[in-house]
Amino acid sequence: MAEYDLTKTIIPYLDRHFAFPLLAHVVDLSIFPAEDVAAAQYELAKGTNMVDYAVNLYEQLNPDTEIPEEFADKREKAVSTNERLQQEAQAVLDVIENPDVVQALRQDKNQNLTYLKDNYGLTLEQITALYNFGQFQYTYGNYSGAADYLYHFRVLSTDTDLNTSAHWGKLASDILTGKWDVALEELNTLRESIDARAASAPLLPTSSHIESLSSLHSRTWLIHWSLFVYFNHPSGRTLLLETFLAPAYLNTIQSASPWILRYLAVAAILSRKAQQATPGGAPTSSRVRHAIREIVKIVQLEEYQYSDPVTRFLKELYVEFDFEAAQRELQIAERVVADDFFLGEFREEFLDNARYLISEAYCRIHQRIDIADLSDRLNLSRDEGEKWIVNLIRDTRMGADAKIDLEKNVIEINRPALPVYQSVIEKTRGLSIRTQALGAAMVRAGTQQPATVEGAR
Amino acid sequence: MSSGDEDAAPKPAAPAAKPAMSRFLRTAASDSSSSSSSDEDEDGDSDEDEEQEDKEVKKKSRFLRDSDEDSDEDVKRVVKSARDKRLDEMEATGKTMDNALKINDWVAISNEFDKLTRMVQRQQNMAEPVPPFYVRTLVSLETSLNAALAKEKEAKKKMNASNARALTAMKQKVKKTAKEYEKDVKRLQDDPEGFERDYAALAAPEVAVPKPKKLKKIADSADEAEDDDFTTVGKGGKATVYTSEGIFKNLQVIQEARGKKNTDRADQIRVLEKLLEVAVTPYQRIRVLLALVSSRFDYNVSVASYMPIELWAAAQKEIDHLVTTLTADSTHIVQEVTPDYDELLERTPADEPDGIVRIRGSVISFVDRLDDEFTRSLQHLDPHGTEYVDRLKDEKGLYITICRAEALYEKKQQSELLARVIMRRLEHIYSKPDAVLNALEAAVSVSDVSPQLSLTAQGSPSNLINTLCVHLYKFGNTVLRTRAMLSHIYHHALHNDFHTARDMLLMSHLQETIHSADVATQILYNRSVVQLGLCAFRSGLIKESQATLQDIFTTQRVKELLAQGVHQQRFQTLTPEQEKAEKLRQLPFHMHINTELLEAAFLVSSMLVEIPVLASIDSEDQKRKAISKPFRRLLDFADRQVFTGPPESTRDHIMQASKALQNGQWEQCRDLIQDIKIWGLMPEAAAVKDMLAKRIQEEGLRTYLFTFAPHYKTLSLSLLSRTFSLPQRSVNSIVSRMIWTEELAASLDQSVGVVVFHRIDLTRAQQLAQTLAEKVGSMVEQNEKALEFRLGGSSGWGDRADGAKGDKRGDQTQERRGRGERRGGASRGARGGGRGARFSQGLGGQVTSRK
Repeated sequence: MAEYDLTKTIIPYLDRHFAFPLLAHVVDLSIFPAEDVAAAQYELAKGTNMVDYAVNLYEQLNPDTEIPEEFADKREKAVSTNERLQQEAQAVLDVIENPDVVQALRQDKNQNLTYLKDNYGLTLEQITALYNFGQFQYTYGNYSGAADYLYHFRVLSTDTDLNTSAHWGKLASDILTGKWDVALEELNTLRESIDARAASAPLLPTSSHIESLSSLHSRTWLIHWSLFVYFNHPSGRTLLLETFLAPAYLNTIQSASPWILRYLAVAAILSRKAQQATPGGAPTSSRVRHAIREIVKIVQLEEYQYSDPVTRFLKELYVEFDFEAAQRELQIAERVVADDFFLGEFREEFLDNARYLISEAYCRIHQRIDIADLSDRLNLSRDEGEKWIVNLIRDTRMGADAKIDLEKNVIEINRPALPVYQSVIEKTRGLSIRTQALGAAMVRAGTQQPATVEGAR
Repeated sequence: MSSGDEDAAPKPAAPAAKPAMSRFLRTAASDSSSSSSSDEDEDGDSDEDEEQEDKEVKKKSRFLRDSDEDSDEDVKRVVKSARDKRLDEMEATGKTMDNALKINDWVAISNEFDKLTRMVQRQQNMAEPVPPFYVRTLVSLETSLNAALAKEKEAKKKMNASNARALTAMKQKVKKTAKEYEKDVKRLQDDPEGFERDYAALAAPEVAVPKPKKLKKIADSADEAEDDDFTTVGKGGKATVYTSEGIFKNLQVIQEARGKKNTDRADQIRVLEKLLEVAVTPYQRIRVLLALVSSRFDYNVSVASYMPIELWAAAQKEIDHLVTTLTADSTHIVQEVTPDYDELLERTPADEPDGIVRIRGSVISFVDRLDDEFTRSLQHLDPHGTEYVDRLKDEKGLYITICRAEALYEKKQQSELLARVIMRRLEHIYSKPDAVLNALEAAVSVSDVSPQLSLTAQGSPSNLINTLCVHLYKFGNTVLRTRAMLSHIYHHALHNDFHTARDMLLMSHLQETIHSADVATQILYNRSVVQLGLCAFRSGLIKESQATLQDIFTTQRVKELLAQGVHQQRFQTLTPEQEKAEKLRQLPFHMHINTELLEAAFLVSSMLVEIPVLASIDSEDQKRKAISKPFRRLLDFADRQVFTGPPESTRDHIMQASKALQNGQWEQCRDLIQDIKIWGLMPEAAAVKDMLAKRIQEEGLRTYLFTFAPHYKTLSLSLLSRTFSLPQRSVNSIVSRMIWTEELAASLDQSVGVVVFHRIDLTRAQQLAQTLAEKVGSMVEQNEKALEFRLGGSSGWGDRADGAKGDKRGDQTQERRGRGERRGGASRGARGGGRGARFSQGLGGQVTSRK
């Protein structure tokens, strides 16, 4: 299964600290040699301030050799830096935590700054100490602390670059501490800021060159980071579709990271149930409703760049209509999903939904279906298959049209054609609204320039 | 003709050199400039005058014209003839003038006088003294002028307007000239005999020396520059002329003569070649080479013809020589802009402040020019003759020269020039198959100079192209970047790398800006797009191929858009200038994309797309919406034919194949398509044919189902698979897809293995209701359009309409508006129409705007 493993592809787009859980997952899978993974983990840890962790890993790797001196130095240095930064940050924190100050703070950042400066002598440099300390805490793995400091920093600071950086840091900390709700919020604000920056970028050919490149980069990163959130938050999958299918992000996926298509495809397959479960509930956008159709199109387009069992499954099912091949791909896809760091927990759900998709397509195309054959297609035993089909018929709209003939062991599906009157209604539905709009536009135009409307009549 | 920098070289040199020249020469120089300006004035006048003359006095006019023609011929002869002949001719002109004087025709006098002045000036350029005849004429003219003016004052209304104008002009001219030759005139008036004697004495030794005129001239000027003495002229032999010391003076003389009407270019070249032999220092060599190459390029002035091939070869060798010299010697640099220096002095690196001698000139313009001349010669040769092939062999040499220049600029680190030279190199290889490219590169690798970027360093041809292009993306200006991008796309398409080529084309957003590019770039764009279409066809992406080629074929000017032939317009004729410009633009034959093959690819892919669609629709209304208009037109035409014979042309084949496909006879269709001869020109023809056969089977099945479904209740899948000799699985898959997309009202019965058709026949009332609903819908649409047109497409109304029509369209417009790199077939289709318009805007827009 190693050839379908995306860990290596994804890690370059993640923060160093995100790589640890991913690597830990890889260790569990044991598809790569354990020593290699351990070496990779050690190399990663060496670059951080998590000295103890690094030492641990070093011992694991080289059980016989002495621990190098540098670790002790590093540790000492880290501790001293920590103290220094903490003192600096504490000064600011003391001021901010003062209830009077909290009362006095307003929406306007500049005003806040002048207020703090006038009353407490806080300068921008001191506030930056918050950022430094937060960042440092992050490097040695104190994520929740980092998140706090970075939050405070962001509230106060006006420095855009540092603010963005703090944004990313906060998101990373939230993800690593597993606070998915907070992380989701953070993710959304970050996305807004990226989109806003891209939109405000001047359309001049010279600067937009670099600008669009940088927004492409940040979007690629955002997409990869958001995988953590979207596959852990309860309503993450729908949100994932919502985000990733937005034109800007879809472009990013297509041009910079086609492997994300796997997650997109899985999310689309998974979210089928979600909309089924809440009929008439929160209205899902058209984007999510037609997610599968959209994704099939993209999968087809990007086939030359990327394909894996999950995307191939969709392609076989909806492009080739080769149910046998689809079912073959599904078997592999199931294992791929199970092994994937993000998708692992959704294996059952994925399989369930995929089966449903197969049977839906199958029933729509066929008039009479052999139950044995369908069970085969779904990779189920006879009895299971029958149960599955009965559930299917009961769950879905085709309840009235489909009947099981036990004697012949077939399902009969009778789908009466759309009556003519319905198609007529369909065709004339929008007319009145459109005509109204037409009239409104004419009236509006009439108030502005009566002469034109006179002519129009 | 020559680029600005070449001109720039001699110009500033002139004032610096003047003091060294003789007084006599100086007057000549100033005279020539003043007279040339008066020439221009005169030309316009005399034309009108002649017309008027024609009307007035027929006899006179004939006489006039005769004399004109005579003198014209004479002028030509003068260039070659000896001095005596020139004198004779002057006298003849004088006689004509006398005659004109008698009949008081000042227009003729003015013309003749100009001619005479010109002749004298020419003589002075040759450093010959002013003939006394001229001075005498001048004097007599002055007197007769005064007389005429006096007479004119007395007699009212005797002269016509043009004549009077000529008279006044004459007065001015004579006055001016007389002032110039004041001294001579005085001398003549004082002592006519002595003046003539002087002249004879001056002229005699020159006549005695039997030397080519040009050499004499050089000797003259060289000597004159040294000592201001006329009598020594001609004494200096060849040995003194072509020494390394005299080189700069000789160069100066040649540069001054450059561009003048009566300069003998061949002679100049010969002199320069000799100078090159005696050049000693690198500085001298470079200077002489620069002059030599530019005079070689000057040799052919006409825009319509090309440079003689021997000259081209010589120029190529000399540029090679120049580049090699420059590359080997780091102390000399040729630049377009340099600080002023004295052209007549020898310069060495030691004298210069930073140890580098900067020489004015431009190697890149030489390389450009050499390349352009090569292309032009190919344009003029018959592509089917052996000459063409022989000429093509020179490309290797040219390519090496370009690479040499590239190496030079790499060494000197002149990045802008390097980009230009790399573009030239790229243009030679981008459209070549790998084998040719390998051969060219092999020639470079065995030559002595090699640039950093070479095939051996890059591994594969594609990598080489890629590296060259990347260099241009980084360092080139916008035009070069665009051209590099298009060449890159072309190359990818040529190598069947459809997806990369398409992505590059779409991501570069070239189609949005291409209509504002220059014509050559537009042609390159068209070529790239067409090659992309062919590439899609070869890769079996029929739909993509059809969509890509559609734009260019709807314009019906494929040849013109690809610069492979001049478009014949039925109702308008091109002016000669337009035609000339068009001809200059044409690509040499070996770069052509075969248009017949192109058409075959387009029509076959149109057939595969269009025929099933045609079969699936049943109402007349929908039938009008054609996907591919050119194909539909041909098909309709073929339908109207009463009798169809066996197919001959490619089109016939495709039309008959389309008909066979419509009737479900896929085998016949396949045979007809595979019989087309032109496939032979396509690489991997066999694979393409197989692919086409498979496509025909599939589309045949679809067409069959569409056409004959109404006549069946059920249809066995195995029968279908046997009829179309497709595997059962693919039949299943095709039928399933059709059901899923609701193209076919049917479902499968798995247990029996048949397709069950659910055809519902509508009653008349139902049918009418549906039609009514459709009509109402279209009426609303029409109204919306009309209102939109009225309001000038104001955004507020447009948005609202989008909103009312549903989310999907809203999404699409948003996508299109967003400048994200959306790509893919779906959005491409939507853009298709726009791009088609752009195509016609592209080249055609320019054509029409020129009218």
